[in-house]
Amino acid sequence: MASNRSVCFSCREPVHAPSCVGCGALQPPPPTPDPFELFGLPHRFHVDVSDVDAKYRAIARSTHPDRFTTRPAVERRMSLQWTAALNEAKRVLKDDRLRARWLATGRATAAEDARRQMDPAFLAQMFEWREAEEESPGSTHAEAAAARDALLAEIDAAFTAWEAGTGTLDHVEDRLLRLNYVEGLLRPAPEA
Amino acid sequence: MANIGIDLGTTNSLVAVVMNGRARCLLDEAGSSMLPSAVRYDADGTVVVGRTARDEAPANAHRTFTSVKRFMGRAPADCGADAQLFRYRMDATEPRFVRFEVDDHAPVTPVEVSAEVLKVLRTRAVECLFGEPGGAVITVPAYFDDAQRQATKDAAKIAGLEVLRLLNEPTAAAIAYGLDKRGAGTFAVYDLGGGTFDISILQLDDGVFQVLSTAGDTHLGGDDFDRALAEHALGGAANAAKLDDAAFRALVSAARAAKHQLTEHGAARIAAAGVDVEVTVADFEAAILPIIERTTASCKRALADAKLASGQVDAVVLVGGSTRVPLVRRHVAALFGREPYCDLDPDEVVALGAAMQADILSGKSELAEDILLLDVIPLSLGLEVMGGVTEKFIPRCSTIPVNAHQTFTTHVDNQTAVDLHVVQGDRELAGQNRSLARFELRGLPPLPAGVPRVRVEFTVDADGLLHVSALEEHTGIEAKIDVKPSYGLTEEEIERMLEDAIDHAETDVDERLLIEARVEAEGILAALEKALGMDQALLQGNEAEVISQVETALRASMSGGDRERISSLSKKLDEVSAPFAQRRIERDLTRALSGRDASVVGAELGMK
Repeated sequence: MASNRSVCFSCREPVHAPSCVGCGALQPPPPTPDPFELFGLPHRFHVDVSDVDAKYRAIARSTHPDRFTTRPAVERRMSLQWTAALNEAKRVLKDDRLRARWLATGRATAAEDARRQMDPAFLAQMFEWREAEEESPGSTHAEAAAARDALLAEIDAAFTAWEAGTGTLDHVEDRLLRLNYVEGLLRPAPEA
Repeated sequence: MANIGIDLGTTNSLVAVVMNGRARCLLDEAGSSMLPSAVRYDADGTVVVGRTARDEAPANAHRTFTSVKRFMGRAPADCGADAQLFRYRMDATEPRFVRFEVDDHAPVTPVEVSAEVLKVLRTRAVECLFGEPGGAVITVPAYFDDAQRQATKDAAKIAGLEVLRLLNEPTAAAIAYGLDKRGAGTFAVYDLGGGTFDISILQLDDGVFQVLSTAGDTHLGGDDFDRALAEHALGGAANAAKLDDAAFRALVSAARAAKHQLTEHGAARIAAAGVDVEVTVADFEAAILPIIERTTASCKRALADAKLASGQVDAVVLVGGSTRVPLVRRHVAALFGREPYCDLDPDEVVALGAAMQADILSGKSELAEDILLLDVIPLSLGLEVMGGVTEKFIPRCSTIPVNAHQTFTTHVDNQTAVDLHVVQGDRELAGQNRSLARFELRGLPPLPAGVPRVRVEFTVDADGLLHVSALEEHTGIEAKIDVKPSYGLTEEEIERMLEDAIDHAETDVDERLLIEARVEAEGILAALEKALGMDQALLQGNEAEVISQVETALRASMSGGDRERISSLSKKLDEVSAPFAQRRIERDLTRALSGRDASVVGAELGMK
């Protein structure tokens, strides 16, 4: 459904941009839209997301399927795809972790191989803490909380440097994964 | 051709419409808006729907069906307790859906029973509106899963209704309240009906109703109160098992009547099935407290998903007949720390909201052009992966429509098919979640193992229903998908039921289709006229000329009786005006995106 179209659905001219140069028709959104671009925001982690909701409402008003119920199927389908892309973009922008991962990797979800490449020493440490937790719940909370805060600070610092043009985001995805592990220790056991 | 809103309830169903800018429920000859959702199949083939069927149910235990909503989209294996509750006999040979055995009649599915209720409501609309209604918005519990939603849509199809949208019941209620009050803020809708419970947390801002979270139980409601009270009258559940089906149903009916009395009186008498006892409010409350307490966990989860504390909710709204029970009101007040609102009739509010949304969807609404509803999916969607583990691809409470994609490959050389098992729920193991469907992707190009990259796209539409498509990325070949829904009727089964229904009303069909074609044409013409009036400047080349030619031909065809011609010209008009329409969308989007002050743009766009 969301295949990367190479011809305009309306006038059949080849297209390479969001809109057809030939007839100006809005094309289906790209398979992996840039959430920042959709909302007209710069590629920055430290971005003011407070007006994302207001902007979202404004855009959703013109793309939402409710506005297209009396329109032809092709427009209804595009409206569905646009709104779905918009909803996903909003989710990524409003969540610090998702926004960080997207900027670092172009994806909102973790890559399979990133998990496999985790530092064995870190994993061993997690295993040790996990066992200690099972013995006496809460015993590693102080250490885990400190580790979490250090990771958050490290991620934030990486973005601050990157935004100033002096650093890379190479380690961000790894640190986000570590954060998942550490926070797993801090969460109470899931309810059945 | 007004669009209608329908509340297809467990106990009662209603139809409403917006007339002269006001939503109102349509009444039957006796002046009642509520149609009991009870259907009886008589030996002579007559189908009796409504009050008579409900009141005579105990004497016709195995040909009368009430509360079938509890069985929609479920398998016999899910429904043992419910079937016991109503003493229905299920045909266990069909694992995919429930089929009730009927005395002197072929077995019926809950979908067909619901279709009978919908047909009566449709007829009521035809009589009150002096013509066929346009499309219908039908409400469903917010916590309904994919199969339950699909079953509701199937029932509407069999009843000959065009479904514009499945709307979540608490959201419908919120529209009715929100439009009345025009407020802003965060509110909770506590909806306890005859058989289902929903809690939704919504944010209303600038005409946009955004559902933040929803939770509930699709097998919890007033029916359970009736049974608990009946069992209390008998002195325990064990005694209830000894009663025959007719006696048990008579006793439950008597308990329901007593429940209604206890809303205003201190005591009531239950006399049926050899029992004659007085029950007090205290007895009743003790019997139902455990049932009401089951709603607490859902409320807490909905608040947590919305990232709110109970004190941060600005208002709580009560919906559903069971919220008339004083203990329910006290329970909600304690849970949220404030008195709940119940200004609107809890039985009618959902149908009224559905009618408002139906009006909004007509594109010609005077009532609320700038209202927009943003709902969520109630349960996470996931795939069963290696080891029977669930891998979520769409988390619960995501705003819909939503899509997600995953890439798969093959495990053996020249493999041309891949199987996917989609489940709904939040449990770790796939087997603990509800199976939604198995998808078989076929027609992949034969390639060495691991080379194909099959990109599977999952889209949940605005009705909350899942659609799947797949593409092999190297070759661009669209994979064929065979969907095997785990529960519910197949396309062919629906078609057959539809044909059966049409057989009975052959003569009406052509007339109806012609009317529908005219309605569709009218809609297209009206929308186009409006668009041209506002954005003439966006026309290019000879578009104006081409559009006007087709428009004239379509108008001329509408007075005739050639349905095919009307439809094909409508389609043609859509096609020739599509580029113009796209330019308008694009212009609006660009405007929305480049606007410095988004709220100003929002107001502007909303004014269209």
